[in-house]
Amino acid sequence: MSALIEIENLSFQYPVGGAQPIQALRGISLRIENGEYVALIGANGSGKTTLARHLNALLLPSVGSVRVNGMDTRDPRHRQRIRSIVGMVMQYPEDQIVATGVEEDVAFGPENLGLPVGEIRRRIEESLKAVGMWELRHRPPYLLSAGQIQRVALAGILALRPRCIVFDEATSMLDPLGRRTVLSLIDQLHREGITIITVTHFMNEAARAGRVVVLHQGQVVMDDVPEKVFSHVQELEEIGLGLPATVQTARALRAVLLDLPDRLLRVDDLIQALPTYPGGRAVKAELSSPKSTSPLGQPALVEVHGLEHTYLLDTPLAQRALEGVNFYVSDGSAHGILGSTGSGKSTLLQHLNGLLLPQSGQVRVGNFLLHHRDTDLQAVRCFAGLVFQFPETQFFEQYVGDEIAYGLRLLKRTKERIRTDVRWAMEIVGLDFERYKDRLTFTLSGGESRKVALASILALRPRLLLLDEPLAGLDPLSRHDLLIKLKGLQREGMTVILSSHHMEEVAELTDELTVFHQGRDVLRGGVREVFDRVDELRTLGLEPPVAVRVAAALRQRGWVLPPGLIRPQELADQVARLQMGSHHESV
Amino acid sequence: MNQFEFLRYVNLGQYLPTNSWIHRLDVRARILAAVFLLLSLTLTGRPVALVIAMFGLLALLSLARIPWAYAFRNLLPPLPFLLLLAVLQVFFNPRPVDTDILIFRWHWISVSMMSLLAGVTLLLRFSALILTLSLATYCISTSEMIHGLESLLSPLQRVGIPTRMFVMMIQVMLRFLPFLALAAERIAKAQASRGAQWGSRRGSLIQRARQVVPLLVPLFLTGLHRAENLALAMEARGYDSESPHTSLFVMHFSWRDATAIIMVFVFSLALLLV
Repeated sequence: MSALIEIENLSFQYPVGGAQPIQALRGISLRIENGEYVALIGANGSGKTTLARHLNALLLPSVGSVRVNGMDTRDPRHRQRIRSIVGMVMQYPEDQIVATGVEEDVAFGPENLGLPVGEIRRRIEESLKAVGMWELRHRPPYLLSAGQIQRVALAGILALRPRCIVFDEATSMLDPLGRRTVLSLIDQLHREGITIITVTHFMNEAARAGRVVVLHQGQVVMDDVPEKVFSHVQELEEIGLGLPATVQTARALRAVLLDLPDRLLRVDDLIQALPTYPGGRAVKAELSSPKSTSPLGQPALVEVHGLEHTYLLDTPLAQRALEGVNFYVSDGSAHGILGSTGSGKSTLLQHLNGLLLPQSGQVRVGNFLLHHRDTDLQAVRCFAGLVFQFPETQFFEQYVGDEIAYGLRLLKRTKERIRTDVRWAMEIVGLDFERYKDRLTFTLSGGESRKVALASILALRPRLLLLDEPLAGLDPLSRHDLLIKLKGLQREGMTVILSSHHMEEVAELTDELTVFHQGRDVLRGGVREVFDRVDELRTLGLEPPVAVRVAAALRQRGWVLPPGLIRPQELADQVARLQMGSHHESV
Repeated sequence: MNQFEFLRYVNLGQYLPTNSWIHRLDVRARILAAVFLLLSLTLTGRPVALVIAMFGLLALLSLARIPWAYAFRNLLPPLPFLLLLAVLQVFFNPRPVDTDILIFRWHWISVSMMSLLAGVTLLLRFSALILTLSLATYCISTSEMIHGLESLLSPLQRVGIPTRMFVMMIQVMLRFLPFLALAAERIAKAQASRGAQWGSRRGSLIQRARQVVPLLVPLFLTGLHRAENLALAMEARGYDSESPHTSLFVMHFSWRDATAIIMVFVFSLALLLV
């Protein structure tokens, strides 16, 4: 019997008007059998999405062939069949919704297949129930969260009864709860026998698959079980990838807990495998928390009191976004804002640079009082620079240098001043001035364009940097690189406030945290103490970093670890100390 | 009021699912009835007809179980504008006719019975039109509207006009309008955080026009990008405007619908004839 998907020597090039075509895929050969769970990983621009789109004939090979269930994708007669065998869920949830109602959207695929009405109704019910959206079927899509829309999109695919579903970065726009729901749905579909192919930037998601295919510059460089793939640390790093957080934590621990089994990929497996404390008695006297780098106790740079905001006030669509929010950020700190989609994070950030003005309550940023109507908003926006999510989609200049100089030109700075400020901003984010200033903006890679966007705000020399999901959509290496740049900025005295859905990033960068839930601030404090409240975070739909969860599990097994361990290395160090202590005692 | 809330200006109509007798009519009957009413309200010249139409509309609102006050709220935003028009109509009526009764005259401003009547007619006509449109949006959801239109236009398919494509276009457009408003809002905000002065009226026309470029370029690009994504998503789900397809919505045209259409038609005709 032939495989479900057979790819033979596939090459593909994107035509570019008047220039050399871009070679996206080079000689790929793969076989995917029925019922497999395959993760496709690779850095930005490695060809993952291009390959995924070949699997259901959205793109056709330039050279070589792709056969689905024995049918060549190049034959137009097979196209409808192929698309009902291989379904696809894409990255941006709302871009996939065709109709103005949930049920109708799910009906779209079956309607195209020309199925009778009774059958369509049956399939709508079946697939909406499978994704847990049956109760919400009468809601208009614009009132659903990103995670819910993504589930509707999945239902729309399930209604075609496909044998294989391709998830093209389907979780990247979702908050932790939405991600968890979609991932467990994927697992469930796989158990039911559907072939799963998932394209992802998140190594912990790739680790859930049964097989990981690694792409680099359009070629397959690794193709193996995840345990094997993630043991090639060096090679992965060289092509812009990293290790799943669980593997990182496990590796750090294995250096001190020599009995820990090799190749643990899932947090639960790692927690299962943790040993109980060998020494009998705890050595409480030696307890010491890792030094907090937080400048808590510094005067507050940002102070928000009783802030309220309602969108579309006085219309039937009015939506409460902030309710009596209090928020403080110490001068010189890095402050993280956590919370699920719609919890009010972006709304708060936009209040801090005067894009939104308080409907009631008080907002002080530096010396600016934003609840006073005569505040100079332009001065506030120079003081507090806000970088939006996916800022590179807002580029409008042709050249990198002009893009960064835009704000400075509006402020009527002199030519000399503009040049020095642009150069300074570019160097801070790690872009060489001479090499990059005349680059065309659309030729930049994902990580580079994010840096240009950051530089275009930094050029205004803000004291306070506001970042909305600054690392979204980047591959592990670019994420790491940018994270280091942001840390550097903070060390030079800039106050940074960022919102993020990714806890490991927040643990790396911030020293204070505020957690939002349904428009209210519900938890606040140093990053270490907030992350230690594992159960509370869970009820708010958030997942603490792996190191925190592992530390909590170790404590339950008798290890008297100090509180506030949020990074793998800290955890391993403390475990080593305890082991030494217990050895001393037994000697 | 917020200078960035572009979504505020996109009013897609508030569908109110009260499940009234009117809501349960076949959607094609509702669309046709609305079209008849709008036509007769536009074409009729007699104020009496408009007064009768107003009573008719109030009855229809009750039948649709929509509180009058709620419907009348829609008249508030355009009211100052309408009043201004009516006042102009009253004071600057161009040619007084002999049979007209002059009420008031001051220099070149005159108010006559006719002009007063013209002002009232204008007010009534626009109020009635706005009420009819509101009633239609309260009673017809966007998706019903789309399927109703597809069905009403389907005879054209036989003449070779691609109605499904046309209806799909309307549907996608309705989906995209709020998105474009939101995207414009985001981009304007991003520009403002980089020092652009949104909402300020300083500078010459050319300077202000130049300000729009940074908004339009990315808006156009994201619009195209999303259109491309949507096209891919549709294609991936087997969309093909030419191949046969079925529809989830099955419409049943019954005697009730026919009666409703006939009644509205007669009423509209009567408005034109009084």
